[in-house]
Order: sequence, then structure tokens, then C-alpha cells
Amino acid sequence: MVGLPGQGMHVRLDALSLLFLCILGPQVLASAVAGMRGSVTFWVFVLGMVLALAAGDAFTLIFGFELMSAASWLLVLQGDQKPAAFYITIAVFSAVCLIPAVFLPAGSVAFVLIVLGTGAKAGLAPLHSWLPKAHPAPPAGVSAVMSGGMVKVALYVLIRYAFMVLAPAAQPWWGVVLIVAGIASVVIGALRAMLEVEMKTMLACSTVEHVGLIAVGLGIALRAKAMGDPALAALGLQAALLCAVAHALFKPLLFLGAGEVKHAVGTTSLNWLGGLMRGQPRLGGLMLLGAAGMAALPLGPGFAPEFLLLHAVIGAAATGGILARIGFTAALAALGLGAALALGAAVRLIGIGFLGRPRSLHAAAAEDGRRGPLIGMALLAGLMLPVALLPSLVLAALVPVVRLLAPQAQLQALAYAPLPLVLLAFIIAAAAGFVLQRWGVRGTREVAAWNGGFGRAPAWLPFGDPATQPSATGFAEPVARAIARGVLGRDATDPAELYLMDPLRLLHLRGVRVAERIRRATIRERLAFVFAALVLFLLALGLAEGG
Amino acid sequence: MTLTFSLAHLMGGILLLCGFLLLSQRRLAAMITLYQVQAFTLAAAAFWQGYAQSEVNLYLTGLITLALKAVLLPLGLREIVRRFNLTRAVETAMPMALSMLLGVGLIGIAVLVVLPTTMNAVSLTREDLAIALSVVLLGLLVMTSRRSALAQIIGFLSTENGLVLAAIGMPGMPFVAEFSVAMLVLLAFLVVGVFLLRIREHFDTLDVTGIEDIERRGR
Repeated sequence: MVGLPGQGMHVRLDALSLLFLCILGPQVLASAVAGMRGSVTFWVFVLGMVLALAAGDAFTLIFGFELMSAASWLLVLQGDQKPAAFYITIAVFSAVCLIPAVFLPAGSVAFVLIVLGTGAKAGLAPLHSWLPKAHPAPPAGVSAVMSGGMVKVALYVLIRYAFMVLAPAAQPWWGVVLIVAGIASVVIGALRAMLEVEMKTMLACSTVEHVGLIAVGLGIALRAKAMGDPALAALGLQAALLCAVAHALFKPLLFLGAGEVKHAVGTTSLNWLGGLMRGQPRLGGLMLLGAAGMAALPLGPGFAPEFLLLHAVIGAAATGGILARIGFTAALAALGLGAALALGAAVRLIGIGFLGRPRSLHAAAAEDGRRGPLIGMALLAGLMLPVALLPSLVLAALVPVVRLLAPQAQLQALAYAPLPLVLLAFIIAAAAGFVLQRWGVRGTREVAAWNGGFGRAPAWLPFGDPATQPSATGFAEPVARAIARGVLGRDATDPAELYLMDPLRLLHLRGVRVAERIRRATIRERLAFVFAALVLFLLALGLAEGG
Repeated sequence: MTLTFSLAHLMGGILLLCGFLLLSQRRLAAMITLYQVQAFTLAAAAFWQGYAQSEVNLYLTGLITLALKAVLLPLGLREIVRRFNLTRAVETAMPMALSMLLGVGLIGIAVLVVLPTTMNAVSLTREDLAIALSVVLLGLLVMTSRRSALAQIIGFLSTENGLVLAAIGMPGMPFVAEFSVAMLVLLAFLVVGVFLLRIREHFDTLDVTGIEDIERRGR
């Protein structure tokens, strides 16, 4: 039997594990269809995630988690070396925090270690700066599952421990920690998503934002549960879990699409794209759906969780002391800022990348995506429809999970029904069309032709030059001037990178050097090492027996 | 009974003293001599224990020790020393005073471990065990503190002497174990002998530091 001596490894499924396995399933299927099915490492990676989700004991959980880390590191390494170095640093840090934490007794120390370990793996601020580097590095199918699945596994571990294993020792400030980290992730993630020029990096930054949204929901639920407010706890959990479900659908879709853009154009830099909707209509349509989800537009899959989350924050603002009230109001403003920036990022992705005129010959000559990735994306898009239009149904399916995590939860019906809204909009549009048809102006009129939103070509370029269109950098410039330099510093580098990531990397490097020194030890040094260990054990034995 | 104890303890003490002196010797020839003395004492101790416990097996052990370790092995070692012209060559990796201090500490640890853990055993065995463990630890210290391959071998052999001392002190220890231990030493000696010859062929020295250097550069 594998596992700890005398204990073995156990697999147990409850509602929470099943939910996250269901979250994992479609994107793994889509990536496999999109071309990852031949890679053994990819399947080991998936196996690690499944093992971590289905684990029945701490050892199996850690085993699966680390298997996932190691396999994903290999996959990142296949893409590029430098991000892999970042990634292994953070993976080791996460392991160093998690492994002691799962064996500690329930308490605040264990909780802080769990948050550090899983937060580092999920890209929760301030440990997020590796994610926009590492997630875009491997092939698109792997990026998709890393962004959509791996961060969910880390969040699953967080939920499992914060709400179930450590529940007896829960305190309100645990939730506050998650809320603060989540708000920071939302603002920084959305801001960087708005600023990044590379499409995959931009998507990874958006992942940071969504992890932040989920963390805020979880934090509100954790705080409310510890303070004995079951209705609010249920609301926060619903928001977080629904956000996880929605994100696991649209983010892999977008990553697969970005991979197809790379395949067709040779670059994913938005500054060299443009006009892809013409050459890749099917890919463009699917990307538009994904971007609508990412922007949390109404009638899209991302709206219902954001709606619930804002409700939860407003509800939380009515609890606690004056500081909590002010803090939650500020959090509301920060979430609004994040939502606006996410919308801007999505508009930029579609507007610069897929509309307008091609900025390079490669973009002009792009052909529609290959069959496998398109099928995978269509699968995810098809699954997005029920989440987008019937969120009440998905929430009903989440009820057992919420009950498991917060036993006294009082669930309320969702006050948002997109399907009737869609019908209403359709009826209004049909009526308007009918009115125009029936009573509209007859006859012809001469007006200037609408040229798709382009300005007039400058006088020295009578035929227009695609490069004179606003670029992605230019589109983001107002935001960069207005907000980014205040939040991120003058040259828009992440402060977390400078003050947290670099010292961590140095520490990791030093550890590696020590390990390497031990590996290169001479025969005599090894003998001396073993000998010293023997003497130490003897000494301990003697002192213990003598005492 | 008292004579049995005192003689056994005396021989154990001589063994320990030899092991301790091994630490302090800088010259290979002197180390071999010390090892020989140690092996002779071990053989005598085995005969004495055989007489005291009236065990034929222990006489056999004593004979093997006498023939192999006290006569044959030192002869071979001296042959190596002469062939490679090592009569004068000895250096330590550690200052001698420090290694002596460490040796004293190791003996202290051995006593500290054995005496309390074996509180219920017969008193003869307890002290013998403490001495045997000290000899083993001192041999290991010689192995780690010397650079020369030959000195390391002598340390290894001294360690093995300590093991045999522990084995003969135990009433009812089967003979097979000792035989296998003796064979093991012989095999190790042969292997290391071949190893030494190869070192000589390639690097013209018995100093291991050269190998370490090459190993380091190679990686």
C-alpha cells in the first residue's frame, strides 16, 4: 500500500469534490480535443489534480497537489525556461507552507499557512506576479487547464481547509484576510489585464482578477459564518462557487482561442493583430462569447456571480463595526473599478485584436482555426449557455455544496433571471423592427458611408495605413496615466514583484545552491555527514534514556 | 568470576586504547602496527571469552582473527605501503588535537548511550558493549578524518574489530555471524586493494583529494 506507514491512501468523494471535478471535466476534455491528448505529462498533470480533488486524507491531498505542481512545471518548462524558474520557486514556496499546515492542529497558524500555500498557487495577491509569466508559457491547451483548473484546485484546498477541516477554530479575521487579498488581486489583476499587450498574458492577468473575486466571496462567507450570519455566508459561497464554475468555462475557451490566433498569425501581441474577425469568423465569434463572460456583461456567464458578489459585499457592509462598514464600502468601489477595467480589457481584446483592419500581413492572411480546438471551444461555449441564461438552475445544483460548507446556511432565490430578459429584449427588438418596417421613413436619403468606426485617413496617407489605427498600447494609455502609475509605480511594474518575488527567488536560488553543494559533496564529506548523523542520533538516544 | 571480568575489561581497554592511538598516529606504518596489536588483543579476548563461556566457536573466532587480521591483513597492508613507497607519507585532514578531543567526546557518547539503555542486562555485557561501541565510533572517526585511502581502510578495519568485540562479549552469539563478518572484511580488503591499484595506475598517488578535484571539475 502506498502512503504513510499504517495509513495508506484514501479517496473519498463528497459534494465539494464532485463540484470541482465537474469544473475540471469540461476543460480537460476541451484541451484534450484541442490537441493535448498525446502528451503524457499533461495526463499526469490531470491525474495529480484529480487525486488532489478526490483525496480522502491529508497525505493523498498533498501527493496529488505536488504531482500537479511537478507535472505543470515540466509543461511550463517545455514552453520557456525563465517562467519555469519563477514557477518552481513559487511551487516550492507553496509546498513549504502547505505540507506542515495540513498536519498542524486546527488553529490560526494552520490557516495562515494554508492561505499562503494555496494563495501562492492560485495567484492571490500579493503572491500573484508569477502567474502572468508562467501561465502563458506552455502550449495553449496546458495554459487553459492551468488557468481554469489548477488555480481551482488550489482554491479547493483553501475551501476544504478553511470551511471544513479548520472550521472548529474559525475566526472572523480569517475572512478579512481573504477579502483584503482578494480585493488587491481584483484591482491589480484587472489593471494589468487592461495594460498587457500579449493576449495570453492579458488572459492570465484576468485570471488573477477572477481568483480575487472568488477569494472575496469566500472571505465574506468565512467571516459571516464565524460571526453567525448564515444568510450572508450562503450568499458569499454562492457567489464564489458560481464564479469558479463560470471562470472554468470561459477562461479555457479564451486560452484555446489565443492558441489558435498564435497558430494562424504567429504572434499573440495585440499590436500586430486586427481584423481577425474577417479571416476567422468562427474563432472570432467564440472569442466574443468568452470575452463577454470575462467582462461580466449582463446575459453572459460572468454576470450572475458578480451580481451575487456585489450583493454579498453590500450585505456585509451592514454588519460589524464602523471600520468594517467603511472597509466594505471601499471594497465595493474597488470591485466596481475591477469590473470596469475587466470590461475595458475585454473590449480591447475584441476591438483591437478581432475588429478593425489587420495591422500585419500575417494577421491579414490568417485562416480560420483548426477543427480540434474549435470543437473544444464550441464545447465550452455550449456549456456556458446554461450558466449564462439559467444561473438559478446552476445555483440549485450548488445547494448541497453550500449546505456542506455552511450547515446553517439560509439560501435565497436569485433575483436575476436572464432568460426572461433575453425574451423581453427579443420582443422589444422585434416590435421595433416591425414599427420601423410599418411606419418608417420611405424613400432614399444620401449620407456618408459608415466605414466601421475608422477616422479619416490623414492627408499624407490618402489610402490609409492600418498601422495608424489606435494600437493596444495606445488604447490602454489613458488608464495607464490615470490609474496604473499610481497603483503599480511609474514604469508599471508590479510592486509585489520587486518586494516579494525577487527575495523569494533569491532565497530559492540559495536553497538550490546548498542542495547542489550537498549533491557534489566528496566521499569523505558524505562519510562525515552520515557519521555526524549517527553520533547525533546516539546522543539523542543517550540523553533521552538518561533523562 | 571477578578474574573473568577484569581480564575481559582489560583486553577491551587495550582495544580501545589502540583505537584511540590510531587517531593520533601520522605515519601509516605505525597505524598498521597499532591495528595489528588491536587484532592480537582481539584474538586473545576471543580465546579468553571462549574459555570463560566454554564455547568452542569462540576459539575458532579467535583463530580466524589471529590468522586473518593479526597476521595476514597487516602483511598485505605493509606490502602495499612498501610497494607504493608510502613509508613516510601521512597527513591528516584535521588537526590532531581536535580529532583527539572528538575521540574523547565519542567515547563519552558511547558510555552515555549504552549504560542507561541496557540497565537490565548483565554487567559484563554492558561495559563490554560500551567499549565496543567506542571502538566502532573511533574507527569511523579515523575514516572521516584521514585523506589517505590506506588510512581510511585501517579505520574501517578497526571499526570491524569493535563489532567483533561486541559479538564475542555476548553469550550465545552464533558463530555464523562472525564468520560472515570476517569474510566481509576480507572481501572489502580485496576490493579496496584493487581500487588502490587502479588509483595508483591513474593518478600516481594514494591521496583521494586528487579524485575529489577531478570529480568536481568533471561535473
